[in-house]
Amino acid sequence: MRAFFRRVAAMAIKETTHISRDKQVIYMALGMPVVLLLLFGYAISFDLDLLPMGLLDRDNTPESRSLIQAMTASDAFEITKHLDDPNQLHEYFKNGELKTGLIIEPGYSKSLKRNETATAQLVLDGTDGTTAGIALGYAAGVAQAQNLRNMEKLGLMAELPIQARVRALYNPSMDSSKFIVPGLIAMILAIMATLLTAITVAREWELGSMEQLFSTPVGRLEILLGKLIPYIVIGIVQVLLVITIGSILFDIPVKGPLYLLFGTSFLFLACTMGQGLFISVLTKAQMVSTQAAMISTLVPTILLSGFMFPIENMPWPLQALSYIVPARYFIDSLRGILLKGNGFSVLWPDILALGIISLVILAASTARFKRRLD
Amino acid sequence: MNEPLSISVHELTKRFGDFTAVDRVSFEVRRGEIFGYLGANGAGKSTTIRMLCGLLSPSSGAARVADTDIFQKPEEVKRHIGYMSQKFSLYMDLRVEENLEFFGGAFGMWGKKLKKRAEYLLDRVELLDHAQMLTGRMPGGWRQRLALACAMLHEPEILFLDEPTSGVDPRSRRNFWRLIRELADEGTTVFVTTHYMDEAEYCDRVGLMVAGRLPALDTPSELKKTWVPGRMFMVRGIDSTRALSLKRRDEILAVESFGTGYHVQTSDEVSSPGDMGKMLQMDKREQVEIEEVEASLEDVFLRVIASFHKDNTSQEDS
Ligand SMILES: Nc1ncnc2c1ncn2[C@@H]1O[C@H](COP(=O)(O)OP(=O)(O)OP(=O)(O)O)[C@@H](O)[C@H]1O
Ligand SMILES: [Mg+2]
Repeated sequence: MRAFFRRVAAMAIKETTHISRDKQVIYMALGMPVVLLLLFGYAISFDLDLLPMGLLDRDNTPESRSLIQAMTASDAFEITKHLDDPNQLHEYFKNGELKTGLIIEPGYSKSLKRNETATAQLVLDGTDGTTAGIALGYAAGVAQAQNLRNMEKLGLMAELPIQARVRALYNPSMDSSKFIVPGLIAMILAIMATLLTAITVAREWELGSMEQLFSTPVGRLEILLGKLIPYIVIGIVQVLLVITIGSILFDIPVKGPLYLLFGTSFLFLACTMGQGLFISVLTKAQMVSTQAAMISTLVPTILLSGFMFPIENMPWPLQALSYIVPARYFIDSLRGILLKGNGFSVLWPDILALGIISLVILAASTARFKRRLD
Repeated sequence: MNEPLSISVHELTKRFGDFTAVDRVSFEVRRGEIFGYLGANGAGKSTTIRMLCGLLSPSSGAARVADTDIFQKPEEVKRHIGYMSQKFSLYMDLRVEENLEFFGGAFGMWGKKLKKRAEYLLDRVELLDHAQMLTGRMPGGWRQRLALACAMLHEPEILFLDEPTSGVDPRSRRNFWRLIRELADEGTTVFVTTHYMDEAEYCDRVGLMVAGRLPALDTPSELKKTWVPGRMFMVRGIDSTRALSLKRRDEILAVESFGTGYHVQTSDEVSSPGDMGKMLQMDKREQVEIEEVEASLEDVFLRVIASFHKDNTSQEDS
């Protein structure tokens, strides 16, 4: 057992020395996460910035103007056209000049005053599904706020629908970067981790040093663990870096306990790096394994993790597939830890799942890693 | 020759698919012996070594290395042997001492003991002053010596060196071989492959490998006696017609072009350069140079290959 740890330590020290001598790896490990975070954090913002809106106000009362003001106050919508006829919207949607239209029918203020349901129509260009969905969410939020204000004016207190509360609770300004950054952290870690580790075993094969290693009593698990340890340390540094930058630039809070943040990050890194090692063990060539690593991490982490598309809305085969995507559990627990302040009692299923996946992948790599040349 | 056996190999065979890389090879190596393994490219030298080091699984036959069956306990074998692979495979981006420390750790060595052993070996391979150097910055000869030191960290009983001197300048090669001789004298068994015929002369015994087979195996001098009997003269200054005309005589066993002249092999009756000169019927104006030489292993190797191919074709004919 002592010899086991010595050999793992020897591997880990050696690997650390490789990393410390290779400027490229260091730049990639510490620079890329920052670049990716900035790039994606600003580019995939789901916030609507001044979506062009056509307006047709047939009521034209203080109440209707108050609604219009509420809609445009949020920076989400900007009135760029005043319409005479609702049908004009079709033209404008087609040529892309407008994305939304707000139509207030006559009688809006009267209904409000009589405490009946007052309707205003929000028309959306549904071809851009994501934008439309988010616009709808905004509008609903605005309408609700407006509702509340109106009711207060009338001296009424009413319970709002629960659903509406949940929506805005953890993200009061409906600021999408709070949802995206945890997903981004997962994506960045996954890409970096898989890439870094995908190369290391393959490199030993290409250099011929694997043959020399095999002539020593170093075991497969010892080689794999020794290679993993330094990269996991790098990964934890990456987590710190990304979360620090995330909280400075995107106001990401860290409400939950730090030990859970690092614990889940550690397990997630073990999963993704294990995946990288597995690929490296299978392909034995750096070029191939880099490409395989990119595809096999990027695609599921973006598409099947709940990062961009809610898992509940997927067809069932994809839902089933998402259960083996480590990012699914990691993003869920990151959102829980960062935004909601969840503790272990809530997050243990995610942690358990990550633990199981990392063990399985490490076992699979060890099993596929032949200590022979033929 | 009553040293115990270090390696014993019986009918060892390795097939890759339909191709037989090593074909029923048998030999024994005693403790402290330098056993040279010669052969052309692709003859099967590295494949043999890899099997004996527990790196490749043999297809059939039997072999024991350091009293351990390589079929049953390939991992156990690794504790007793040091291996230097044909392709230089230390880490170029590590310093000399870092390479030593890593491979020591790989053998489960640690702390003071490892440090002392590394220092001792660096001293022996004359790299003590360069312990801090990056391996990739060293010339080839130094790297080979470092690789040898790495293979010896755990005090192996047997060293397997696969073309340790390829691509190294002649002076470094001589130094390297002196070191190997010292190690063997101290009791380490050395199994070494090479392309260089002159190096084979340093070996206690030499096996000649041709196309996976091992048709000749003996000490260098016995090999010469068996394969190149009689005497050998180096003749310079004659043209090819003259050289070929020699072949018709009974005392002349063979004439082969060699370097700037001809190697003429004769029976023992031709006992001096003078006898040789008479046979050439030189006239005075001719500038012919005759000198008795010892047959080289290269001569042996050419004979072995020639007879091997003759045997094979006759087998195919029948
Ligand atoms: N893993 C393998 N799979 C298939 N064929 C192989 C494998 N390893 C070696 N060979 C073949 O076996 C033959 C013997 O190879 P080997 O490396 O043992 O030769 P060698 O005598 O060491 O030659 P060299 O002087 O070039 O190193 C070659 O024809 C080689 O192509
Ligand atoms: Mg070889």
